[in-house]
Amino acid sequence: MIGSAVRCSELVELATDWMEGSLDGVALGQLEEHLAVCPHCRSYVTQLRTSIGLLGETPREAPPASARAALLQAFREGVSPDGR
Amino acid sequence: MPACTVPAVLERDSSAEHELIERLRSGDEGAFASLLDRYYQSMLHVARGYVASKEAAEDVVQDTFLGVITGIGTFEGRASLKTWMFRILVNRAQTRGEREGRIRPFSSVSDGRDDPAVDPARFEGSGRWAGYWSTPPTADLLPESGVLAAELGTRLLAAIEVLPEAQRTVLELRDVLGFSSHEVCDLLEISEVNQRVLLHRARSKARAMLETYVDDGRDW
Repeated sequence: MIGSAVRCSELVELATDWMEGSLDGVALGQLEEHLAVCPHCRSYVTQLRTSIGLLGETPREAPPASARAALLQAFREGVSPDGR
Repeated sequence: MPACTVPAVLERDSSAEHELIERLRSGDEGAFASLLDRYYQSMLHVARGYVASKEAAEDVVQDTFLGVITGIGTFEGRASLKTWMFRILVNRAQTRGEREGRIRPFSSVSDGRDDPAVDPARFEGSGRWAGYWSTPPTADLLPESGVLAAELGTRLLAAIEVLPEAQRTVLELRDVLGFSSHEVCDLLEISEVNQRVLLHRARSKARAMLETYVDDGRDW
């Protein structure tokens, strides 16, 4: 890690820009160079990805039963089988 | 503040989407129930950013689904079904919020902008190693079993409630619902840079919450 142009405290602030593909050539090279030699920052990025993955994979709870029933009733009344 | 450009053609799984739209149009209740189960709570979270109360947000979501019922017959599919539904939601939430005299959300990103992604105390403060980890993240954070992942995911979804509204909304749209950055910029009328700042703050905090759960709760 000695001599790395990016420090760990800087990498954590650039992680989203990097994951979003918005770093330019020099910054991108410096960040990836740091990641290649810093296992802690690799763990950090893995944690970020794990948390993003969990948010996307976990279903949100169902709507309240009364609201769900009312909207299903509205659907039955509002959409006729001919697709109107 | 300029909103970012939206590509003319939005990515989507066209065959599954087409089938869902056809089922909705033919009055298939199961298809509509799947939309309710999938999007109702997320819509409630997004609407909360615009209106004064939970009750008002519930009205907005209900109104949105009624709009979906009446509009599905003429929905042209230029955007994805999900994008179309959330546009209806945001339009209605904005109208309601303006009627309530609320300040338009997302007009500024000062909302948590200066929060560090990681507690500065976790980095060396001085000397040759200044800025390098002194308390690094745990390496093996990944949940090993599906049950644990589901439990963690549920906890994380509950935990992100405490984020500042603009951050929470961007995180909900991007990471919970899977909207692209272009779609989020368009929906919320924010610039790409602002969207990324909000996303960065929110993702950094969600990671920290996850880390706390895993490190503090290895017993469950």
